[in-house]
Amino acid sequence: MIWLTWRQFRAQAVTAAAALAAFAILLAATGPRLASLYAASGLSGCHPARCADLAGGWLTQLNIGHTYFMLYEFTIAVILLAPAVTGLFWGAPLIAGELETGTAALAWNQSVTRTWWLAAKLAVGGMAAMAVTEGLSLMQAWWAAPIGRAVGLGATGTFFAMSRFNSLAFASHGITPLGYAAFGYALGVTAGALTRRAVPAMAVTLAIFAAAQIAMPLWIRPNLLPAEHAVVSVTSLRTITLQGGGGPHSSQFHLGTENLPGQPGAWILSAGTVNAAGEATTTAPAPCTTRQSEESTHAFIECLASQGIRESVAYQPASRYWAFQWTETAIYLAVALALSGYCFWRLSRRLT
Amino acid sequence: MTAAIAAQGLGKRYRRTWALADCTLSVPAGHVVGLVGPNGAGKTTLLGLATGMLAPSTGTIEVLGGRPGSGRAQLARVGYLAQGAPVYAGLSVADHLRLGARLNPGWDAGPARSRIERLDLDPRQKAGTLSGGQRAQLALALAIAKRPQLLVLDEPVASLDPLARREFLQDLMEATADQDLSVVLSSHLITDIERVCDYLIVLAGSRVVAAGPAEELLATHHLLSGPRRDPASLPGGVQVISASHTDVQSTLLVRSTGPVLDPAWTVSEVGLEDLVLAYMSQAAGRGRRNHLEVQR
Repeated sequence: MIWLTWRQFRAQAVTAAAALAAFAILLAATGPRLASLYAASGLSGCHPARCADLAGGWLTQLNIGHTYFMLYEFTIAVILLAPAVTGLFWGAPLIAGELETGTAALAWNQSVTRTWWLAAKLAVGGMAAMAVTEGLSLMQAWWAAPIGRAVGLGATGTFFAMSRFNSLAFASHGITPLGYAAFGYALGVTAGALTRRAVPAMAVTLAIFAAAQIAMPLWIRPNLLPAEHAVVSVTSLRTITLQGGGGPHSSQFHLGTENLPGQPGAWILSAGTVNAAGEATTTAPAPCTTRQSEESTHAFIECLASQGIRESVAYQPASRYWAFQWTETAIYLAVALALSGYCFWRLSRRLT
Repeated sequence: MTAAIAAQGLGKRYRRTWALADCTLSVPAGHVVGLVGPNGAGKTTLLGLATGMLAPSTGTIEVLGGRPGSGRAQLARVGYLAQGAPVYAGLSVADHLRLGARLNPGWDAGPARSRIERLDLDPRQKAGTLSGGQRAQLALALAIAKRPQLLVLDEPVASLDPLARREFLQDLMEATADQDLSVVLSSHLITDIERVCDYLIVLAGSRVVAAGPAEELLATHHLLSGPRRDPASLPGGVQVISASHTDVQSTLLVRSTGPVLDPAWTVSEVGLEDLVLAYMSQAAGRGRRNHLEVQR
């Protein structure tokens, strides 16, 4: 059975190897230049007080250069799409293709049970999908290591300077790609077993996979662990987003932040201002709605601070990164196993 | 001796329609069984149930004493050539033989290879480029080399030209002579069935309407012709399968264990084709009547 599985998987394996090789060549060709740019930036061994600004400046330069910005985006996109592609083109036709061409009758009437047939197919295809996706992720992590180091120095305010919890970064690094790949493949196989036709199975796989990848960062991941809460001074925030505020005509404002003093790399779930009594408020106190406050954000923030307004932040500490990685990967693997179990049941009882 | 196929109240339903209903039969081993019936009569369903590709909705079926498809041992004892002789288009002829050798402990490599050689098939040729006849031969070679005790063939010759059909059936007969092999073969080509089968199952309207050794079936059915009269006037024990009347003459196909002695009838032997057609039209007539009743 292993022989047949391998023989039938050969073409896909060659394609996957070629794709991995192309990806590796792209990164190998551009990676050393990125590393040398980092070395030339003087970031290694920078004065601790100036590191963050220096790193921010370097990343801004990379951003302006566009090449690395585009490469970074492209490589992340490849990693995020790989589980969908393997699920669509390897998973969905696995059972549906056999049923469509009628070869299921050939495959399942040798002296090998369907359970064993499916086990071999699931193992080979699933492992390959996981290996490809994680391989892409590891290669990209090697390539992007200088960017990661600069972000680690506290750089803020550029596209690269996203926290490791950013939904794109989180989903393309660590061990989550393994979970996605296993899930995508098992989903494809299951959809094929249910629809019994490859093309509809591919459509179903794509729809469900996309829905899962959208729902996960939006609604599920933030709640995997209970959030921490902190109330900090508004003047201590390094990066803020201010909407409205100040001026005689708009006393309504919203003050957001992307980082939290003392918690570098934390995942900010929500942020908003509270008054001295600790109640959420979005109305600027009267003294702050002056012409001067309108013209200067700094003056407005200072005024808010003097009126006892502080920033309340719900966040996940950076130290929980691996807890989140493991939890999310475990969830996806568990769903993949459940789907596989269903396929075994369906194949042994109900099919055709 | 265990029966090749034993079914009890076997039925298979797809949503609301019964593809096969209330099928009870026992086919002894050692026969070449012909399964005949019109399109949609349930032939493929019965064979699918016998190979475990389908699960019964009602009743039970045992093949060589075991539940179809229930495990390696059972799978090894039954060879199946599905309708259209499916093969992997992307795999070569040699790959298919290797597939068979790897997946079947009882694989008999020699005859399989010589059969392929005799057919002048290039082992490196992709199965997807084979003609319909070559594909059927390749699939048959796979099914036989597995050395099953029962070979199930679903419309194996439907897509073949007359010459390829003859070769295919010859091949099949040689294989049954060589090994201790029972065969169940479905076809709507009655002449082919007549040539190779010694046991018959007639399916019509999702039901088994007749089953038994071919000779016995032929011996118990008679064609009666004579002046026109009511079929009800026949003696007891004679069952009319089909009747056609002109103004002056009646022709009846009847089933009767004993000879029909009424001198008013000219009794002649019945051919297999007539017999099968009679059962088919009987089932079709019953279907129409049911239909009318529903409409009323």
